[in-house]
Amino acid sequence: MNDGRNWIWAGIDAIRTPAMAQGTRLKEMSDHPRRSVDKDGIFHNQGFEGRLPTPELYGATRPPGMKYQMGGCGIAGCMNLEGGRISGDRIALMLETMGERENGLGAGYACYGLFPEHREEYCLQVLFDTEEARCNVEELLKTTGDITKDERVYTHRVKTMHPPFPIIWRYFFRPNPNVEWRGRLDLSNDDFIVQLAMHINSDIAGAICVSSGKDMAVFKGNGYSYEIAQFYDLERYSGKMWISHSRFPTNSPAWWGGAHPLSILDWGVCHNGEITSYGVNRKLVEMNGYRCSVLTDTEVVAYTWDLLVRKHRLPIPAAAFAMAPWYHKDIQRLDPESARLATWLRITYKEALLNGPFSIIVGRREPEVTLIALADRKKLRPLLVGTSADSRILYTASEECAVRVVDPDAETWTPNAGSPMIAQVGKGIIRTGNELPFVGGN
Amino acid sequence: MSSQTSTRKRQELEAPERYRPVVDHELCKRCKKCVNECSYRALEFVDGVVKSAGGCVACGRCINVCPAHCIEIRQVPSQFPPHANFNERVRRGIMSQASTGGVLLTSCGTDVPYPVMFDDILLDAAQVTNPSIDPLREPVETVTFLGGRKGRLEVKGNGRLYMEKDPGPVIAMDMPIMIGHISLGSVSYNAQKALFQAAQELNILAGSGEGGLHKDFYPYANNVVSEIASGRFGVTGDYLKRTAAVEIKIGQGAKPGHGGHLPGEKVSALISETRMIPLGTDALSPYPHHDIYSIEDLQQLISVVKESTEYKVPVGVKIAAVHNVGAIASGIVRAGADFITIDGFRGGTGSTPRIIRDHVGLPIEVAISVVDQRLTAEGLRNRVTVCAGGSIRSSADMVKAIALGADVIMTCTAAMVAMGCRVCQQCHRGICSWGIATQREELVARLDPEVASARVVRLFRAWNEELKEILGAMGIDSVESLVGNRDRLRYFGPNSKIAEIMDVKHVGEGWG
Repeated sequence: MNDGRNWIWAGIDAIRTPAMAQGTRLKEMSDHPRRSVDKDGIFHNQGFEGRLPTPELYGATRPPGMKYQMGGCGIAGCMNLEGGRISGDRIALMLETMGERENGLGAGYACYGLFPEHREEYCLQVLFDTEEARCNVEELLKTTGDITKDERVYTHRVKTMHPPFPIIWRYFFRPNPNVEWRGRLDLSNDDFIVQLAMHINSDIAGAICVSSGKDMAVFKGNGYSYEIAQFYDLERYSGKMWISHSRFPTNSPAWWGGAHPLSILDWGVCHNGEITSYGVNRKLVEMNGYRCSVLTDTEVVAYTWDLLVRKHRLPIPAAAFAMAPWYHKDIQRLDPESARLATWLRITYKEALLNGPFSIIVGRREPEVTLIALADRKKLRPLLVGTSADSRILYTASEECAVRVVDPDAETWTPNAGSPMIAQVGKGIIRTGNELPFVGGN
Repeated sequence: MSSQTSTRKRQELEAPERYRPVVDHELCKRCKKCVNECSYRALEFVDGVVKSAGGCVACGRCINVCPAHCIEIRQVPSQFPPHANFNERVRRGIMSQASTGGVLLTSCGTDVPYPVMFDDILLDAAQVTNPSIDPLREPVETVTFLGGRKGRLEVKGNGRLYMEKDPGPVIAMDMPIMIGHISLGSVSYNAQKALFQAAQELNILAGSGEGGLHKDFYPYANNVVSEIASGRFGVTGDYLKRTAAVEIKIGQGAKPGHGGHLPGEKVSALISETRMIPLGTDALSPYPHHDIYSIEDLQQLISVVKESTEYKVPVGVKIAAVHNVGAIASGIVRAGADFITIDGFRGGTGSTPRIIRDHVGLPIEVAISVVDQRLTAEGLRNRVTVCAGGSIRSSADMVKAIALGADVIMTCTAAMVAMGCRVCQQCHRGICSWGIATQREELVARLDPEVASARVVRLFRAWNEELKEILGAMGIDSVESLVGNRDRLRYFGPNSKIAEIMDVKHVGEGWG
């Protein structure tokens, strides 16, 4: 939308950050004036004596009394548009570069297209605080389907991270054919997995299912982005797409389950912002059978994408429009068919409007690995997209430095306020985020 | 005893007057304007001076017309021996009933000092983690839609996108405000004209009330919600076609369980023609609709109205807020209503038994929240527009009502006050000195529809600006994101149980 604001952001395109322009590796980052690297190769924000006092830390269990969490953040994503693989250290470097945007209270990564041999099985990654919780979840999985493979997710102790450290398990899972859930026979496999994940999160003490999609997985926890990358040893994974997030929460405890990406089925959402309409958005997803257990606005955003695109079959641009619509006075400028559809999207999905500042990176695997980058309709939080010089790699991030650090020659641009950038493996960039929302008509 | 003596004896037992106009005789020009303007005959010109004649209702007309600014109305100090239990109000009621032997009639909303929960609620604002929005520099939207929703939109197409089905009728309003149902009959021709004209200029809706739509007002039909009440006054095929929306009125906040009441004094030739009733007779609507004894009957009537309006306008149902309002609202949505209007017990009226006005129903703050919660729990909230009224006195009440769960607020008394009403609670007598709640030609002529309409327009424009200010401060740029956003409210009153029922956190409780 041409509200003038975008052109200001577009100016950043010309800025190069010298320290980051060379594709530096982690250890070279010590040259950065705000950073220092200790003998273990771990770097810290300067200005604080080491780490700030951390609030209470939580693993898979939701912090008692928690009702809502909020904060600012850094987000980054990258995708190989031709379906090749990108190693986890690339995304980690992108995210870590935006060190100003995190304070060590949570970070996470989601990788898509990393389990080609288990492509048709749901990959459930679950955090457990106790062995008992693990037994309960496994019991549930065994009675509702087949675990074709399970394994402890590789983790690596990081000196600077503080407990608790949940047990992290991965299950490749196929639901029973004719699956029944609490007497209901009408659920598709996807609906069943949604119910299963929400049941684990709400009803099984000490367990939280952090991802449940096919051929994708979420790696997240309490800590700085580089600590989480080391903890999961992200270099061992490579996939078609990565999305990632580092947190700067303002007033909530650090909780492994509450870190981003928030995921349901194959949806993964990394979100920088604070939704001022949370109470309204939450009502929409709850009315449609979702149970909010993580209690962040981001969880609601993930459920909203699932509801609008998977369940209501809205095309992605229409769903994005419902969440970040044009103003009514601007809708009047569209042709009558487009204006009518736009108005009805606003009327029907008024509870889906995400008000307040946000920029989000959304990942999806079905029908092909897809990345959506969307900023709020006033563009109150930063978002930028870029492609490599050979147009094979797509980048998106809060800040330009995150792209430059891995690809100094990338061509970057900023999507318009409220306009989604959509890219899909095999199809390339479907929308740059600078077009009209959609064209109406039959 | 002679009849003269008995009259005197009766007068001895009447309650003393409550208000007294006091004239500064030094300043008085003896123009007698006040005497002529007082429709309650509370002033007389005797022995060359203007004096109080008793029966003043504090309507304030004399004050405003006096060219010498020499009249003030004094509230007479209580003439009753103090008693906290048998207070003055109670004793006056007894005396009045002993004189008349009837049901005490009154008008406007209740004046009993019940707690007002609106005044116990504080709003949130954006700080640091999200920016507030400046409505002077950034768009803040207040466009509101009234009508049914399907909860889901079927969008087809690859490339060009289109909707396969017509989603149904809906009305766009420039602000989430609806002028409530004020019938022609309860108010004058000029008053209704002013309200309709204001609604048209503001691009909002105004209710017709249950008195039908006068043919002169057909040009305003696109901004009028036509009411079908139990009396079915003036309900014709034409009436249903010349309208923006149709509302089936089951109840009214000021008199739940009661029908409309237009005293015969107000049934002039004009009213008789529009309502299609005999001249000078009381128009008493039946208490229930005699074709609606249950929810399935309501469903049938909704279907009938939708058929007869060819599905071109939204059809809604208005109910008084009563104790089981959540379940009733749910039933109404399931019966097919496109919008539902809830009227709280403090709502106004042109005439009602005082016992009902003052003692029956549910405050609107609680009713809105309960209905919103119930409809959400049943997955119905995104099928219907919820309008709520019953003493929305200011833009602050409006913002809080919306945040509690109303899509649209409905207000009458505020619009009346803008036109001159002083809330003296005498509407049922039909001699309103401001030309609003009367049918007497000489009184009606006092109200200039153009002037009155301009005042109503200015009032609601100001409310809408204040709504934008508050939305901006909360970091919200469109009013729909405030609807039912109870997270942004905090309760600051004496009864935390109420807060719990309204699903509003207590002050001091943060997010998490």
